[in-house]
Amino acid sequence: MRLLRLISWPYLRKHAVRSLLTVVGIVLGVAVFVAIHTANEAVFFAFERTVDRIAGAAQLQITSGETGFTEDVLERVQGIPEVQVAVPVIEAPAGTNLAGQGNILILGVDMTGDRSLRDYDLESGDEAIIDDPLVFLAQPDSIIITKEFADRNALTVGSRLTLSTMVGDRAFRVRGIMRSGGLTSAFGGNLAVMDIYAAQQVFGRGRRFDRIDLKLNEGVAVDAGRAGIQEALGVGFDVEAPASRGQQLESTLAVYAISMNVSSVFALFIGMFIIYNSFAIAVTQRRPEIGILRALGAPRRQIRNLFLIESAISGVLGSVAGIAVGMVMARAMVGSISSMLEGIYGVAERADEVLADPWLLTTAMAIGVTTSMIAAWLPARNASRVDPVQALQKGKYQVLTAGENRARRLGATVLMAVALIFLWIGRSIWFYAGYVSIVVAALLLVPTVSLWFARVLRPILKWLRPVEGALAADSLIQSPRRTSGAVAALMLSLGQVIGLGGVGRESYNSIVDWMNTTLNPDLFVAGSQNLSDRTFRFPKTLGPQISDVPGVAQVQTVRSLRVNVRGTPVMLVVIDTASFEERGRRQTVREAPGGMYTLTKAGRGVMVSDNFARLQKMDLGDTVDLATPAGMLSLPIVGILMDWSDQQGTVVLDRALYDRHWGDDTVNVFRVYVDHGSDPMDVRQRILERVGADQPRLLVLTNAEVRRWILQLTDQWLQLTYSQVFIAVLVAILGIVNTLTVSIIDRKRELGVLRAVGGFRRQIRQTVWMEAVAIGVVGLALGVLFGAANLYFLLEITGRDLSGMYLPYRFPAGIALALLPTILFAAFFSALWPAESAVRMSLVEALEYE
Amino acid sequence: MSSPGSKVQSPESRVQSPKSGVWIAAALLPILFASHGYAQSDARQIMAEAQRRSEAKSQRYEGLLQVLDGGGKVADKRWSFVRLGSHGSSKAVLRFLAPAEVKGVALLIVNHPDRASDQWMWTPALQRERRIALQDRSTRFFGTDFSFEDLEERDVDQYDYRLLGEQPIDGAACWRIESVPSKRKTSQYTRSEVWIRKDNYAFAQIESYVKAELVRRLTYSHFAQLQGIWTARRLEMSDLRRKSRTILTLEKLEYNVPLRDEDFTLQSLRNPL
Repeated sequence: MRLLRLISWPYLRKHAVRSLLTVVGIVLGVAVFVAIHTANEAVFFAFERTVDRIAGAAQLQITSGETGFTEDVLERVQGIPEVQVAVPVIEAPAGTNLAGQGNILILGVDMTGDRSLRDYDLESGDEAIIDDPLVFLAQPDSIIITKEFADRNALTVGSRLTLSTMVGDRAFRVRGIMRSGGLTSAFGGNLAVMDIYAAQQVFGRGRRFDRIDLKLNEGVAVDAGRAGIQEALGVGFDVEAPASRGQQLESTLAVYAISMNVSSVFALFIGMFIIYNSFAIAVTQRRPEIGILRALGAPRRQIRNLFLIESAISGVLGSVAGIAVGMVMARAMVGSISSMLEGIYGVAERADEVLADPWLLTTAMAIGVTTSMIAAWLPARNASRVDPVQALQKGKYQVLTAGENRARRLGATVLMAVALIFLWIGRSIWFYAGYVSIVVAALLLVPTVSLWFARVLRPILKWLRPVEGALAADSLIQSPRRTSGAVAALMLSLGQVIGLGGVGRESYNSIVDWMNTTLNPDLFVAGSQNLSDRTFRFPKTLGPQISDVPGVAQVQTVRSLRVNVRGTPVMLVVIDTASFEERGRRQTVREAPGGMYTLTKAGRGVMVSDNFARLQKMDLGDTVDLATPAGMLSLPIVGILMDWSDQQGTVVLDRALYDRHWGDDTVNVFRVYVDHGSDPMDVRQRILERVGADQPRLLVLTNAEVRRWILQLTDQWLQLTYSQVFIAVLVAILGIVNTLTVSIIDRKRELGVLRAVGGFRRQIRQTVWMEAVAIGVVGLALGVLFGAANLYFLLEITGRDLSGMYLPYRFPAGIALALLPTILFAAFFSALWPAESAVRMSLVEALEYE
Repeated sequence: MSSPGSKVQSPESRVQSPKSGVWIAAALLPILFASHGYAQSDARQIMAEAQRRSEAKSQRYEGLLQVLDGGGKVADKRWSFVRLGSHGSSKAVLRFLAPAEVKGVALLIVNHPDRASDQWMWTPALQRERRIALQDRSTRFFGTDFSFEDLEERDVDQYDYRLLGEQPIDGAACWRIESVPSKRKTSQYTRSEVWIRKDNYAFAQIESYVKAELVRRLTYSHFAQLQGIWTARRLEMSDLRRKSRTILTLEKLEYNVPLRDEDFTLQSLRNPL
């Protein structure tokens, strides 16, 4: 403690800015880690809470995919001995047409029995309305809203509220307002209750329910009840506790989390190098003090511990700041993650509570401190080995010994060999071990390669500016440890930019290719601008009506719904196989003898997307089990095709088979081909006039509009990548500023001498600038090389664990070229303040040792 | 005190027997298991006689429902009621006439001697019927103090009885009988106590219990003999937990009116009689 006060504190105080920069790396790494996990948890918690509130006292929920089931299932469930209360539910999002309010979730319930499960505590209005469901039931425009929604929109009992439903805009009358709390806080209050049979009509459910919520008889264990109900209903139904509805969200967020975790680890890695760099310099600069301490009898352990404690304190401070920054970032990220929920409920979740999870914060703190201490370990060990006699001598601070370099090269070679073995084994854990080995090998090689590059750069810099260029290059060559820390940080961050950028660009290109080959209809008839919105569906009978419109050559129906296959929610795409074979064929990866379209059409198999096959580790001939309301449908895979519709994978099934097993004749989208010579815009107008009159929800989108929409979605996803690029550039700037600051302090005497012998301020300034640019160039060169390897690994991770889509390897030369000016400018920008600091440095102080 | 058995044999009682044939009265026979022996068989005979005297081939009336909440607020509803058959194997249709926003809403009840009734509700604005699940029978009947179960017309065989003694109601001598649902009968009530008037075998009062708690009390008044059947034209149901009550007044009551089976189907719900 005394040493900390006497030795460390004055040093830290004197080098406050550098000390601050040292911890910034940790701040950044911890912040990204905390932000992504906190935001994910906040959204997930909000979702779970919403599910819980909507479920009320329901112990189990019965669903059958997105198609729901016929009403007779309710009677079957009510007749099961274990069941005490079973009530039907319909959940449907509806547009509110109110500014800033988005969609509202309509909960369709049967008021005659639903109060056994849910409490509709009324804020105002006639208590009899809810207690006497007769008026509520007799008037299908009745709706009960939450107090939150009522307050936000100045609605009272008796107000009219127009909602966008499947049958167009409908005016509803507010017949009750639920008090705040419980159910009403689901979706931030964007929830309304109406009669389930009225909901069936306005949301196109026919005589089907989405779900049954139930309570078991007293004394019946949930597991036993679940098993009994499952047995009674058969395989086409899922009987789960309400909490398990988070499964799909979990898998969506998991993909997001994996990608952000990689960035977080990189940020911490980079932070580690910045800390290593700073501590290596600190050890060098404080050699005289260390020498004195050692001469006075301080044991090596004490010196080592002194630096380790300093690093731990840096780690704690960095982690605390990182947690604070991370919480702020989490609040900003919650919005974008929340929007993913719209795919599940159709209503944006409002994750108002972004709470700090003590366990997460403890982990973040541990990661920050451990990273800091690992980074400081080598400098601390070096400090403890300082020879007192050498330490008290003046002269060069740093020497990278030939022995050190050889050891690093040897280590790198061994690691690369090990990595190749791991990659050859190929299985998931070994693959990641191989990845880490390559990264560590690359880091070990940084000092050596930096030195080579610096030597190559020296004549160029000297040619540009004989004095300043030579000084700048020599600074790099003579202080490889100082330089290599910044270069390593730059290399990692730029490698990440190139890797992520490469994956992003290739995804984009592949999606465009896929659109060009498969998205060939002229028009799309849908119920929503958002084609992935599966809430709005049309009867299949609309197809012939569209076909009859003059100018229409062919109409294809598409029904897509999410189904569980091996516990993963994948997309089931139902098509008229014959029609798709003729027009709209997907790019085939592999197909069974006999032809995949022929076999699918005959109901003898399914086609699956390439990513489905990879993620599920299935191939041609393997059986896909689909739980349908009519029982289990098991079909072999007869074809594998390229399809980018869903990141969890796609199963393509023939329409006739679907109708038979699901008893659902609805359609999400009609793909329309117009006659040769007809203008698609004219045909669109005719469809709207002839068919749209009876279908208020009907929209006709052109091919260009759909493409634009898909590319917008892709861009949204790529935004995540771009945010990581931003982090990488930030780290680059941080690393260079840190290195230059250290460099100037380190070379205080040298720069002082230069000025004392008549060097101009301009020359000093330019020396610093050139050094910065040189670091940028070396970092960029190594970053590009490392990025080339990193891209390979990221493409593999994408294929193996994220989307199952294997993208071709194409080095993103454009991104690499774009990085050149970015990094050079960042380097120059980073050098401005250190250069000015060097110029304004006191000559007396600089030369005090002389 | 004469034995209940002798009363059952009384020729006089034959003459003035018609008990309130009001559907809802018969429906409100929440009865339960009891002890055995003399009292049990005696009580059962009284109940069987009460049922026999209230029997009619059919029934029709218009009802005025007045719901009085704890604060004295009154909400009125009117309905028409028709029933074909009697006790345990009857069918009934109840159709709301007022207020305007509920007009046309109808309920079809098909009673079975050996199990709970089937009930469907018809909503004209939606043009569709919905089944009232057995589990929902204990819920309030559209804001009144009656439950859906209270609308069922039960057969005497669905309960076990025990004679508790005699006690006058509104000055009329009555038998006090405990009724407990038999094992095959599903009921929200654990047991009930029924008061049967000695003079005409009409129901005078029913108190229904959930476990040991008295939850509902139904009292009959304004008795009149219509077409030979003693009928209470005013029924008052009190929900003792909610502290509210509902008064049902029967108007234009007729027995043995010509009705057809096909008037009591889901299809017929769509078209008023």
